[in-house]
Amino acid sequence: MNAGVMALEDTARVDFTRLRQERRRRLFDAMDAARLDAVVLGRSGNVRYASGARQLWRAGTFPFAPVCVVVRSTERVHLLSVWDEGIPPEIGHEDLYGMFWNPAHLLAALGTIPGLAASRRVGTDSLSPFFAQVLPTVVPTAELADASKALAGARATKTPDEIACITVAAALAEAGLSALEAALAPGVTERELLGVYDECVARLGAPTPPSESVAFATPRRGPVRFRNLVSGRPIGDDELVVLSPGALYAGYEGGLARTRASGATPPPGTAALADRCFRGLDALLAACQPGNTGSDLYKAWESTGEPEASVALAHGIGLGAEAPLIGFGRGVAASLDEGSVLSVQSWVTAEGTGGFLQRELVRVGADGPEVLTRGERSLS
Amino acid sequence: MTVEDWATGAAIAGLPVPSEPDLARMRADRHRRLQQHLEIQGLDGLVLLGCSSVAYATGADAPGEDSGRAGLFRSVAVVVTGAAAPHLFTPYWDGATPELPADHLHGPLFPDLEDGIGELAEALGQLFAPGARLGVDEQTHPMLGALGRFQWTDARDVMGPAKLTKTPDEVSCIRAAQRITELAMDATRPTLRPGVRQTELSGTFLRRVFELGATANAIDPIWQVMEPTRAAGPWTSHGDLAYPTSSTDRILRAGDVIWVDAGISHHGYASDYGRTWLTSSGPHPSDRQVSQFRRWRSVVDAALDICKPGVTALELGRAAIAANDGVKPWIEHFYLAHGVGTDSAEMPLIGTDLGEAFDETLVMVPGMVVVFEPVIWDEGAAGYRSEDIVAITDDGWIPLSGTRYDPFEVGQ
Repeated sequence: MNAGVMALEDTARVDFTRLRQERRRRLFDAMDAARLDAVVLGRSGNVRYASGARQLWRAGTFPFAPVCVVVRSTERVHLLSVWDEGIPPEIGHEDLYGMFWNPAHLLAALGTIPGLAASRRVGTDSLSPFFAQVLPTVVPTAELADASKALAGARATKTPDEIACITVAAALAEAGLSALEAALAPGVTERELLGVYDECVARLGAPTPPSESVAFATPRRGPVRFRNLVSGRPIGDDELVVLSPGALYAGYEGGLARTRASGATPPPGTAALADRCFRGLDALLAACQPGNTGSDLYKAWESTGEPEASVALAHGIGLGAEAPLIGFGRGVAASLDEGSVLSVQSWVTAEGTGGFLQRELVRVGADGPEVLTRGERSLS
Repeated sequence: MTVEDWATGAAIAGLPVPSEPDLARMRADRHRRLQQHLEIQGLDGLVLLGCSSVAYATGADAPGEDSGRAGLFRSVAVVVTGAAAPHLFTPYWDGATPELPADHLHGPLFPDLEDGIGELAEALGQLFAPGARLGVDEQTHPMLGALGRFQWTDARDVMGPAKLTKTPDEVSCIRAAQRITELAMDATRPTLRPGVRQTELSGTFLRRVFELGATANAIDPIWQVMEPTRAAGPWTSHGDLAYPTSSTDRILRAGDVIWVDAGISHHGYASDYGRTWLTSSGPHPSDRQVSQFRRWRSVVDAALDICKPGVTALELGRAAIAANDGVKPWIEHFYLAHGVGTDSAEMPLIGTDLGEAFDETLVMVPGMVVVFEPVIWDEGAAGYRSEDIVAITDDGWIPLSGTRYDPFEVGQ
C-alpha cells in the first residue's frame, strides 16, 4: 500500500467516500439490530465514525454533549458545527446545528432535526445527570437507551479502507520511531525525545498524537515500573529506553513500541530480557486468531511463564483506542473477530537490567494474524 | 504594567499572588473548596471522570491523549465529603501527587466497560453508604446500569462554583502555562514564511513546549488563514466568521493573515495564546492592518479600564462594543471573553448567547481569570484578533499574558 498523507489525483490511497458510506451502512445495521430510531453521540470516535467530519482535535475526555445525531428514518447525519469546512458533502448545511453556550438554544436546535422528535427509542453513547434530565424535552415520547454497544459493534471489524488508514497511521508512527531512535543518546531527556517525536509526526502532517507517552528510560537498579509521564533527567549511557510512538491519520490510530539501549553497551542481562519479551509477544500474536477470545491471550501469556502483566496485553484499534480491552483482568470473554485490529504488547522487567516493551498492530485475518507495523526487533 | 513584574503587589482576598505557584498549597486549597461546595450542596461525594475535573480534584498529571485512548484508559477521582484527601484510580500512577496518601492511590477503573463496572461499584461501595447522594460529571451506560443504589446529581453544581474563582497559586500556575506557550510561540513565529505548512508550525511549537516543561499539549494548534472577506471563508450557519478551523498540510502563502490559537496544559492548567501573524519573509503590517490592531487594542483597553471587582459582564461587553463604534467585536458563536482554568474555556463567559440578563448577574470578583479575545473584522482586509489574559485582583487586575504582539507594536 502507498502510505502517505497527501491526496493523490487517482484516489489511489483511500477512497474516503466509500469509507464513509460503508461506515454509515454498518451504523444503520447496528441501529436496526439494537432497535434504535436515533442515536445522539458525544464521544469523538463515535462522532467521527458516524459523520466523517474533521473537527478540531482536543486532548482528553470531555463531558457528554450531543455533538452528532443520526436519525434512522431519514438516514441523515446531523452535526454540531457552525461551518462546513471539514464536513463531508453528504452532510448538508441544513444538517448542521450551531454551537451554543445556552443549553436552551442547543435543545431548541435539536428540536428542529427532522424525524428526531418522533423517535421511540433514542440511544446515547454516554450521559450525564443534566442531559438525562433535558434530552427528554427533545424526544418526549422516546425511551433513552444505550447506543455505546451498537457503536462498538459497528466499529469492531474494519473495512479495507479503514485498514488503509490504520496502515498510513502506522507508517507515521514508524517515522516517529526513526526520529526517536536517531535522537536517543546518553544525555538526552525523555522530554526532549517527546519534542522530537511530536515535531516529526507534525511535519509529516499528523500533529495530534494518540498519546504523549512515547519514551521512558527504565531503571538499572530496583523495581522496574511502566511509566507514562516524561522526565527532564538526562538519560545515562547504559539504560534500556522504551520508545512507543503512535500517530493518527483521518482519525485512525497506528502505533508500535521498541526498546533500545541508550548507549553503545546495553545493560547486563539485556539479551535474556529481550528474548523473554519477544517470546511473550510471539505467543500473544499467535493467539490473535479469529474465533479466539481474550482468555486465549491470557493463556498465551501465562504459557511463557511470565508473571501476570501489569499493563494491557491487547486492546482494539480503530478511530483511536477501542474495545476490547484485554488486560487488568478484563476482556476474558471478548471475542477476537476476523477483521478487527488489535494493539498487542509484551512488557517484561528484570531488576538490574530494566524493562523491555515491544508493541505491534495486528489484524485478525481469516488465515491468522497479520502484523501491520514494521520495525527492527533487534536492539540496534 | 508589564508582564515581567506581573504579580508584584497583587492580592486576591488579601493573599499575595506569588510569582511561582506553590503546587501543594494550591491542591490543598482546591480540596477545601470542593469540600465547602459539597457541604453547600448537601452531597456525600463526587465521582469524576472528565480529565479537567480529575485534574482539579486530584492534581494528578496525565499524558496528553486522543479522546478515544483517554476514555478507555481514564483516571477517575472520587471525593468523599469530610475526607482529608481525594481518591485517585488511574493507570498513570506516576502522575499522582507526592502528598496523596498511598491508600488513596488505586489501580485503574474501567467505567466504560461492562466487565469493568463491578470494580467501580465495589470501590464506591467501600466509600459510600447505599443511598448516598453523589455528584457525577459523566455517566456511562455501564454506570447507569450498575450504580443505581446511589442517588446521582450533576457534579457541575459543585465544580462550577469551586472553579469560578482561582486561588493566588492557581493564577500563578496559569501564568506559568502561558509563559511556556509564549516562549514556544517566540520560537515558532520566525518560521512563518511563505511556503511553510500549518502542520510544520505545529511541529516547531510542540517540540518547544515540551522542551520548556509543558505537562501536555491541549489542542491541535490553530493557524487559520483569514480570507479578506467573510464570503471567501468557509460557509457558516450564522453568516459570521468560521473560527477556529483545524490545521492541515496547507501551504501558507505570502500575505496570508494568520489567526493563531493554541494552548497547553501545565499541572492541569490551560494556557490560551491568541495572536495575529502575517505570512512574509519580513512581515510589516499595512496601515490598514495597523489600524485594525489599534482598534483591537482600544477595545480591550476599554474593557480593562473598567475591569475590577464589582463590574458586571454586561458592563464589560458594553464598553467593548462602544469602543468599536457600536459594533459587537466578537464572533457570533463566541464571546468577548471567557475564563480559563483546568478547562480551556470556562466561566466567566462574557457576551455569549446566555444573554444580557445573565451577563448582568455575572459580577467580576477577585480570583476570576478572564481571557479577552475580541475580533476586529475589516471586511475586504480580513481583521485582527489577539487574546489578553488578566486575573481580577482585590483592587483591579493583573496581566497573565505577554504584552508583545509581533509583528504589530503597541503605540504603532
